[in-house]
Amino acid sequence: MKKLAWMVWCVAAVGVPGAGAENIDLSTVPSRDTVQLTIYNSADLTLVRETRKVVFREGNNPLQFSWAGTLIDPTSVRLRFLSAVDKLEVLDTTYPHDKPAELTWNVGSEHAGEAVIEISYFTSGVSWSADYTVIAAADEASASIEGYVTVSNQSGEDYGDAEVRLVVGTINLVEQIADLARRAGQRPEELAPSDRRRFRADAARQSMALGDRMLGQAGAANPATPQPRRIVKQGLSEYFIFAIEGTQDVPTGLRKRLPSFKADAVPVEVVYRYRPREYGDRLARLYLMTNDKASTLGASPLPDGEVRVLRRKADGRGLSFLARQRVRYIPVGEEMELNLGVDPDVGFELVTRRVFRDNIWLKLRRPNVYYKVGEPTPRGVQVDDRSTVEGWDEHRVMLRRVRNDTGRAIRVEARQAVPGDARFISRLGAERFDVSTVVYRGEIAPGERVEAVYEVVTRQGYRAKQSRVEIVDGDPAGWGRAEVRGGG
Amino acid sequence: MNRWMLTGLLMAGLVAVDAEARIKLITLPVRERVEVQLDHDSATLVEEERVVPLVAGVNQVDFSWANTQIDPSTIVFRVLPTPEAPPEAPPEAPPEALPEVQAPEGQAADDADALGQGRDAPRVSVLSVTYPEGENALVWQVAADRSASVTVRISYLLGGLTKGFSYRAVVGHDEETLTLSQYLRVSNFAGEAYGDTGIYVGYGEGFLKPIGVNETKQMLMRRVAGVPVRKVYTADRHRFGWLDATQFKLKVPVHYRLENTGAGGLGGEALPAGKVRIFQKDGPGDGATVAFLGEDVAGYTPRGEHADLFLGVAQDIVVKRTVEGREATRIAGNLFEHRVTLKYEIENFKDEAVTLRVAEEVERLRQELGLATGQAAEWEVGAATTFGGGPVAEETTQDRVVFAVDLPRRSGGEDGDEAEKITRRLEVVFKNQW
Repeated sequence: MKKLAWMVWCVAAVGVPGAGAENIDLSTVPSRDTVQLTIYNSADLTLVRETRKVVFREGNNPLQFSWAGTLIDPTSVRLRFLSAVDKLEVLDTTYPHDKPAELTWNVGSEHAGEAVIEISYFTSGVSWSADYTVIAAADEASASIEGYVTVSNQSGEDYGDAEVRLVVGTINLVEQIADLARRAGQRPEELAPSDRRRFRADAARQSMALGDRMLGQAGAANPATPQPRRIVKQGLSEYFIFAIEGTQDVPTGLRKRLPSFKADAVPVEVVYRYRPREYGDRLARLYLMTNDKASTLGASPLPDGEVRVLRRKADGRGLSFLARQRVRYIPVGEEMELNLGVDPDVGFELVTRRVFRDNIWLKLRRPNVYYKVGEPTPRGVQVDDRSTVEGWDEHRVMLRRVRNDTGRAIRVEARQAVPGDARFISRLGAERFDVSTVVYRGEIAPGERVEAVYEVVTRQGYRAKQSRVEIVDGDPAGWGRAEVRGGG
Repeated sequence: MNRWMLTGLLMAGLVAVDAEARIKLITLPVRERVEVQLDHDSATLVEEERVVPLVAGVNQVDFSWANTQIDPSTIVFRVLPTPEAPPEAPPEAPPEALPEVQAPEGQAADDADALGQGRDAPRVSVLSVTYPEGENALVWQVAADRSASVTVRISYLLGGLTKGFSYRAVVGHDEETLTLSQYLRVSNFAGEAYGDTGIYVGYGEGFLKPIGVNETKQMLMRRVAGVPVRKVYTADRHRFGWLDATQFKLKVPVHYRLENTGAGGLGGEALPAGKVRIFQKDGPGDGATVAFLGEDVAGYTPRGEHADLFLGVAQDIVVKRTVEGREATRIAGNLFEHRVTLKYEIENFKDEAVTLRVAEEVERLRQELGLATGQAAEWEVGAATTFGGGPVAEETTQDRVVFAVDLPRRSGGEDGDEAEKITRRLEVVFKNQW
C-alpha cells in the first residue's frame, strides 16, 4: 500500500494549482528509482532518501508531493537536484491550507529534459533493534554469540528495494517525529526553529555522504548459493552505522530479522558478585565477555538489545536456558556483562554475630565537657543523671557464609557500602573501592563452605568526624573464642 | 491436537517471500525428538528436532503456532549435521554456515563441538526471519548449496508448561528413620501436546514421557529409605506464640529434622522446595499400615543442610514462661544496663525422653519488655542463667539465642506417671542502653 505520491502537473494545460477554483487536473506520476532508509534505534526516527527521474520543461514546473496515511514529518521534506543542478531551482514551496499531507514545489528550470531529483524526509514508524543469542559451552569456558538485527515498518508506507542502514547512538531531537507528523499542514517555519532544521539537514547530509561511501564497499560478492546479507559496520561521529548489504523490501507491517554476526569460542569468565547497588541484595552469577578481537568479537560496537543466554548441557542433550536480559551499548574493547541471577548451588548468607558498643562519651552539664565512661572524671566535674550519651563506637561482627555446591571452583566478589566514619577490620584482604565502599574477593573450591568474618566499627554521635571507611588488617573482635558469649 | 506447524515451502531460487502466491507445495516435517528443559526457576525451554527437506537455493521454512504461549522472541533455529558426519569441518565454511552439532548418543556436547558437517552434508545458512503481521508465525529463509534433508533444532521458551516437586515421607514406627519419595509434577497448560518427550528438571535423571494438553503428570524421581530423622521440639515465644497466654503457656511445635547429607542417604544434590506429606507406620512390622501425620512445605535444602518439617503442636510438653525479674542499673548519666530474667517451667508428659529447644528472639524480647531503642541490642547471657552447656552455638546469633534442655520421660509419683517439673532461667543483660 503505497501512500506516498507525487505528481508533476502539466502546467501548460492546467496552470498552477491553487491559484483558483480549478478542479480539472492532469498529472504524471514518476516512480521511485532508488530509496534508502537510515533508521535510528534511539529515537522513533528514520531518514528516507529517494530518487526519481523527472522531465522538466523550461520555465515553471510545479511538483506535488503528498503523504496521506503515513508518518512523515512535513517539516523535514527536502528536494534536491542531482543532475542539471545549476539549471534547476526551487522557487517556492506551498503547503495547501485544505490538504494537510501535501506540498507543492514550484521549480524554475532553464533545462528542458530529464533530471534526477532526490526527496528526503524523516518518518516515524520504522525501527530496528538488535538481539543476541549466547550459547555457553558445558564447561562455561567459552560461548558462541550470534547477533541479529530486526527491522520493523509500521509507517504506513511500503519501501521496495530499499537500501537499509541502521544507526547506533543517541540522537538529540527537540520534538518527536511522530508528533510533527500529526501536525501536518502547518508551515515548517512555524514549527521548527532554525537550529533544528540545520541539525537535521546536517545529519541528513552526513548520513547520505557516508552511505554513498559504504554502499560502494558493500555488495561485491555474488556467490552461487545465497549467503546471509553481510552487514557492513562503520563509525560516524558519535554514531555507528550498520549497512545491510544489497536492498530489502520493507513493506509496511513487516518485521524482519537478519543475522548480523557470529562469533565462536568467545572466552567467558564466570564470577559471582555481591553488589547490592547493581544487582540487588543477592549474589549474582555473571558471565563476563569482552568485545574485542582477542575474543573474536570487536569488529564493531554491540548495539543495545536483548540477550538470551543458554548453556549446552554436559550430557549433550541440548541446552539449558539461563537468562534473558537487555544489555546496553557495548563499545569495542568494553566488557559485556550477563547477569544470570542467583545460582541455587551457591549459598550466600550474612549473619550478624555480635553487636557491642564502647568508647561511650557523656556530655556533662557543664558545656562542652565530655567524659568517657569508665575513666576518671575531670577535676571538679560532676557526672549527674542529666548527663547524656553524645558519642560512642558501635561494633558489628558479621559473618558472610558462602557455600559452593557447584562442580567447579568459583570466584566470589563482595562489594558493599560501609557508611559513616567507619573501620572495616578483617583478614579478608579487603580493599577500598571508594570512600565508603569496600570490596573483598576469594575463590571457593567445589563443595567448600567459607565463613568470611569481618567487623565494622562505626564512630557515632559527636565522635563521627569523617565520612569514610578505613581498611584495617586485623582480627574481628572476639572472633575465635571457643565460648559463645552473647551473640558473639 | 498439534497447534504448531513447521512447513517447508520448496521455492528454490526464490528469495523474496511471495505473499500473493496461490499455488504452493508444502512439506510437513514432523517432530523427531522433543526435549523439555525445566531446570530454570521460571522459564521452560522446549527443544524439538525435525528433519526438513531443503532444495538447492533458498527455502522458505514456516513455523507457526496458535493458542499456545510460546515467546516468539526466543525462537532459535539451528541446523544440525547428519549424525553420521565425519569429524572434520570444511575449512572454507564461513562462520554463518557452521551449524550446531548434534552429539551422538552418549557423547558430551563439548566433544560434539569438534564435529563439523560431513563431506556430504549440505552447507546451510539462515538468511533471515520474517514475522508476518498479525500472525503467530515466522518464516525462515534458509539457503542450501544442494538438495538434502537436514535435521534442525528449534528452541523456544514456552509458558504454561510448569513443574513442581512434592514429597511423601513415611516415618517408621520408632520415628528414627523415614522413607522419602520425591515426585516431579509436570503440568501442561501450554496448549500443545507432546509425544514422547525428554523431560529434564536439573535434578536426577530425565524422563521420556508423553504429555498431553491440559495434562498433569506426576513421576517418581527417587525413593530413599532409611533416612535418619529426629524430632525437634521448640519453645519460642516470638516465633510460635502462646498456647494459652493467660497461663503463660507457650506453644511447642514439633518438627522432623531431616539432614540432606550422605549419612542420611541423601546429600547427592539439593532438595528442591515442595510440599511434604508425612505418614507414620502404625506398627513395627512390614504389615503395618500408615497414618497421616500432617504436611508442610519444605524450602530449598542445599546439600549438607537440614529441613525442618512442621508436624503440629506437641500437647504433652508444657512450657510456662514468665518474666521473673528485671533490673535497671545506671552506669552514668542516661546510660543504663538492664538485666531481665525469664523463667521456664517445663513438664514432659510423654512416655519418652525428649530434648526441648528454648529460644528467644532478642530484639523482639526487648520490644516485649519496652526496652527497645534506636540502637541494635548489645546483649549477653547473664550469670543467673541455669541452662546447662550454654547456648547452642550453631543456632545462636546476634538476633536469636537458643538453649537445649533434656527432658526425662514421666516417671514420678506413686503410679510413675507424673511429669517432673524442670525449671530453667535465662538472664539476658542488655548493655549500654540509653
